[in-house]
Amino acid sequence: MTDVRSSKIRSNLSRKMAQPGGRTIAEALARADQGVEGHREAAMRKLGDHLEQLETISRQREPGCETLIYDRAAAFLDMAGFFETGPLYTAAFSLCQLSDRMTALGVWDWPSVEVHLRALRLILSSGCVTGAASDEVLNGLAAVARRYA
Amino acid sequence: MAQSPRSSDRVNLEQITVLLIDDNPQALDILSSIVMGFGVREQIRCSSAVEACQIVKTRQVDLILVDCAMPEMDGYDFVRWLRRETPAPTRHMPVIMISGHAANSKVMKSRDCGASFVVTKPLTPRVLLQRLVWLASDQREFIECETYVGPDRRVRNFGPPLGMAGRRKGDLSAHVGEAVEPNLDQADIDSIIKPRRVAL
Repeated sequence: MTDVRSSKIRSNLSRKMAQPGGRTIAEALARADQGVEGHREAAMRKLGDHLEQLETISRQREPGCETLIYDRAAAFLDMAGFFETGPLYTAAFSLCQLSDRMTALGVWDWPSVEVHLRALRLILSSGCVTGAASDEVLNGLAAVARRYA
Repeated sequence: MAQSPRSSDRVNLEQITVLLIDDNPQALDILSSIVMGFGVREQIRCSSAVEACQIVKTRQVDLILVDCAMPEMDGYDFVRWLRRETPAPTRHMPVIMISGHAANSKVMKSRDCGASFVVTKPLTPRVLLQRLVWLASDQREFIECETYVGPDRRVRNFGPPLGMAGRRKGDLSAHVGEAVEPNLDQADIDSIIKPRRVAL
């Protein structure tokens, strides 16, 4: 049996946050939200760049490029995850899941990737709006991803 | 169990030093804006975990926010190094790991690395602040054994803070439903707790 030690530790974070002062939660959130919004335009441009890279990789299909699809999709998701991007985030997550599972299973299906990229392009160009159309697109992607679940 | 913070509650992050680690400069800018909005005055930005290792060896910080996916040394390896290779109190630093997509191959690594919290995206300022407030009142013990060093992972025992729905499938609801049977009358209650003489 291995030796297990446990201790009660009060962090500096805890001590300092217990000091009086600071700002209200509402004010802190409002300022942070405002700060994030200031980055939205540049982030959406970056998402467009990521998507172009994904489309190029998918078009060229060079040997061994499958892992790049996951890496780029994960980078896309990372950036989209800072903002309220609704269906765009869900579609990117689905592409990450799909490429991760296909790599683990040792199979690769380019049409499944392409349908995800077309969906991402469609959602991005329509302003990431949630509605019946985006729901239908996401249901389609979920059906594709389920094949490799 | 921590109380869910109200909008009018105050949060004081003015005196803390935060270390932000992300290889993506744009993500680093966004994180920086968030913590600045929370009132943090001192933040150190690192574009790699290797650089962050040097920082924590020489400076005391109060909180670390680290992205999980980075080249060379990822966030999981960084936290593992922090928990196992540094002396106290550095090894006890609260760490919030930020995760985008968790690949199947990384799930165990994430569970075992010893982060105080792993927050998955979408990451809103509200979620991050809730975790911070929660971390400030963290009751968990710090566990050190051969296979794991970090805060007790059995956070499930404490449940989500009151008033919050929780983000895990297994989180229990704090909602108390309608009574399905009539209340016990006082005589019934008395009979349950009434001391009785027993023959030994």
